Amino acid sequence: MDSEAERTARESLELAFQMSNILDTGLDRHTLSILISLCDLGLNPEALAAVVKELRRETPTTTSISTTPSAP
Amino acid sequence: MDDGKAVVDLVKQLVNRLLAAQPAPNSTESTTTAQSDHQQVLRYAVRILSSRMTPSIAADEAAMAESITRRLATQGNSSDALTFADLYSKFALKTGPGSVSNKWALLYLLKAISEDRKTHQKLAQSDSRVSSGMFKMSVPGGLPALFDSERNGSSNGISDISRRKLDKGRHDDNLRNLPVKETSEKGWSGGILMVSKENARDMAYREFANLLKEENEVSEEVIVRDVLYACQGIDGKYVRFDKVIDGYALPDTVKVPRATRVMVRKLCELGWLFRKVKGYISESMERFPAEEVGTVGQAFCAALQDELSEYYKLLAVLEAQSMNPIPLVSDSASSGNYLSLRRLSVWFAEPMVKMRLMAVLVDSCKVLRGGAMAGAIHMHAQHGDPLVHEFMKRLLRRVSSPLFEMVRSWVLEGELEDIFGEFFVLGQPVKAESLWREGYHLHTVMLPSFISQSLAHRILRTGKSINFLRVCCEDRSWADAATESAEAAGTTTRRGGLGYGETDALESLVTEAAKRIDKHLMDVMYTQYKFKEHCLAIKRYLLLGQGDFVQYLMDIVGPELSEPANTISSFKLAGLLESAIRSSNAQYDDFDILDRLRVKMMPHNTGDRGWDVFSLEYDARVPLNTVFTESVMAKYLRIFNFLWKLRRVEHALIGAWKMMKPNCITSHFFSKLPRAVKLQLTLTSRRCQVLWDEMNHFLTNLQYYIMFEVLEVSWSNFSNEMEVAKDLDDLLAAHEKYLHSIVEKSLLGERSQALYKTLFVLFDLILRFRSHADRLYEGISELRARSADPSLPARDKIKSGRHLSTKSSEPGSWLGEGRKALTQRAGEFLRNMGQDIDSISKEYSSLFGGFMSQLPVQQHIDLKFLMFRLDFTEFYSRVS
Repeated sequence: MDSEAERTARESLELAFQMSNILDTGLDRHTLSILISLCDLGLNPEALAAVVKELRRETPTTTSISTTPSAP
Repeated sequence: MDDGKAVVDLVKQLVNRLLAAQPAPNSTESTTTAQSDHQQVLRYAVRILSSRMTPSIAADEAAMAESITRRLATQGNSSDALTFADLYSKFALKTGPGSVSNKWALLYLLKAISEDRKTHQKLAQSDSRVSSGMFKMSVPGGLPALFDSERNGSSNGISDISRRKLDKGRHDDNLRNLPVKETSEKGWSGGILMVSKENARDMAYREFANLLKEENEVSEEVIVRDVLYACQGIDGKYVRFDKVIDGYALPDTVKVPRATRVMVRKLCELGWLFRKVKGYISESMERFPAEEVGTVGQAFCAALQDELSEYYKLLAVLEAQSMNPIPLVSDSASSGNYLSLRRLSVWFAEPMVKMRLMAVLVDSCKVLRGGAMAGAIHMHAQHGDPLVHEFMKRLLRRVSSPLFEMVRSWVLEGELEDIFGEFFVLGQPVKAESLWREGYHLHTVMLPSFISQSLAHRILRTGKSINFLRVCCEDRSWADAATESAEAAGTTTRRGGLGYGETDALESLVTEAAKRIDKHLMDVMYTQYKFKEHCLAIKRYLLLGQGDFVQYLMDIVGPELSEPANTISSFKLAGLLESAIRSSNAQYDDFDILDRLRVKMMPHNTGDRGWDVFSLEYDARVPLNTVFTESVMAKYLRIFNFLWKLRRVEHALIGAWKMMKPNCITSHFFSKLPRAVKLQLTLTSRRCQVLWDEMNHFLTNLQYYIMFEVLEVSWSNFSNEMEVAKDLDDLLAAHEKYLHSIVEKSLLGERSQALYKTLFVLFDLILRFRSHADRLYEGISELRARSADPSLPARDKIKSGRHLSTKSSEPGSWLGEGRKALTQRAGEFLRNMGQDIDSISKEYSSLFGGFMSQLPVQQHIDLKFLMFRLDFTEFYSRVS
């Protein structure tokens, strides 16, 4: 039973990874699996996508963020 | 809370990974700063996540996958699109523990990330962020970029604008084909103003929508409804029937784009056709009481109305549908009504074909009735398209059912129930004896083309036979034959057994019925009415077949007939006929037959002898007078006259021989005569005998030819044909042929007129000869009597004495004159006689020669046999 679920999970992850590759998201398997779990838990996918985007953009504006310590 | 804990953990992990994935420019930074950064980023991420809890679009997995695939395809990566679709289908199948339950979210996530990446890349590639922000290609579905918290406040505004865009999309019906989500990318960077800049595409759409609104005075919905009304023949609010162009159209006052106008015109063709068909139906209904529209026409109207009710059903469904909107993927979008003009044109395709067919039929059948109408529709049904064929077949079944009904009742019962004159058999009231020939005939105009000519003839004959049996033969047993035939054909004698398309069944029914009824009729004719016997009787009496009867009749009637015609009483002749019958073999014949034999005196002029006006006749009653009609009996009469004359001449000649034949008395007398007289006497008598011989030869052969080669042969042919005759028509034809051949061969036909005249002249000559011969031999015997010797033996004396006693008034004159006077007188007498006979002989030769020369010219082959017999020694042809 568990192995069944494991297999399904593995295959689903694989398919999702391939789909994300086609869409050229730049996500790796681990990140993708975390995102999948977060989605399943009910988080808003729009928000997650925003997080990913922001955090990716971190590099050029890392300094700006670090200079604004205050949070809203 | 467990969940929440798990969530936070996961988020931490995510953050770690993402940060780790970024290439850090200054990896030599201290860990503390990295840690604080880390914390900050984490806090930021959590803030983002908590700011938006609900997604902005509906959770439809399939639509999402669809839109991703479409995007991939439009970007030109069709292979990628296919692969993605394939993967998605596999992915969607994975259910149960271990699989992703919120697939939609995952897909949305992936989509959003990929779009962001693209946008980001493009952004990074452009020169100035401002310009790129202005002219950015909007990739629908992308999220509005969030740069700062300040600008973040406008996120609500952004979503407001996007919502407004969606509303706009709702108004424009024509934009419903576009993707529903019209959120456009409003990327800007560094710009101070927060004005939402729309891109060219949106502007274009909005202008288009405005233009359409200006052009279209009337919305499509209303037009569709009007068209539906027009297709039922009712004028709608905008679509009216225009008499000028003879069709339904939008009047020019209404402002609609040209495309719509043309479309409406095309769709309303259905309305025009419908009007035509309906007009025809209502017209026929009105005319029906005036009895111009027959049963077939009514059946046609009924069938058309059935088709029209099907059509109404379709229209009702369409109307109901036109109210419902089509269900779509997302609730926030609307689509307008289900029915558009285009959809209508698809729905109308089939009804258009059917309606066109009906209109064509209506046009061609406007002036036709009855069987002609059925035939015309049948010609239209010769079509390859199965839809058309089925339709026509259905229609024809209804239309031809009255016709088949009429055929059935005609064939099985002989009843013609045809009030409107639609059947192809027409009857007229005639007397019983002409019922067969003229009572019924075929009316070819009303014959439908799916019934062949031969079948029609058979139908006519069967019904005629039933009527004939019923009227003329007073026979009722044909009804059994009818039921039998119906059973044999597999249908019933009741109504409604047959239909169109079952022409085979009809044919078999008709054949069976015809077979049985014909057989029945023949049986009745032969057994009950003894047709054969009557024919034979006519041959024996009218055609002088019964030799002994004829001989006796002639013997008795002969002296009577020599009187002038107006002194003869037919009553007396009838009595003589009776006695002739009784004294010959004819007395053993059937009483019924003998009853019908009568003497007839033809109308005569003064100067006619009885011979010219005497004839026999045979009384044929119903139903035999169908065969022996007046004209047929007149032909028989002609033949009888000819044969009677021939017989009379023969009789006369034989009578002459009685006197001419040499006997002892005369030969004895000849030897006593003086030489000169004897010579002359011998010569004369010899000449007479020779002439007699010629005439006899001619007459005998002619008689033989007529009696045997003509009459008997024709009779045997006729007998054979009577055996095989299957119906009354065959019998009539055979009898006609029989009579015709007799007439032709016995030189009574039109082609032999000249020959016939010659023949009669010959007959007259023969009769004259007879009288001369009579006179000659009377004279000879008188001579003998006067010069009787007392030296004659007693036997002769007695004879001569008897003779003498009659001549006792002048006993002395001859004897007293002496032999010289006797010789002189005898010589004179003989000379005269000789001259007469010579003249007759010459005349005879010339006439006969003429007759013989005319014979070869005749067409009939049997006359050549006559010629052969008459001239077998070639005596005549050598002379000529």
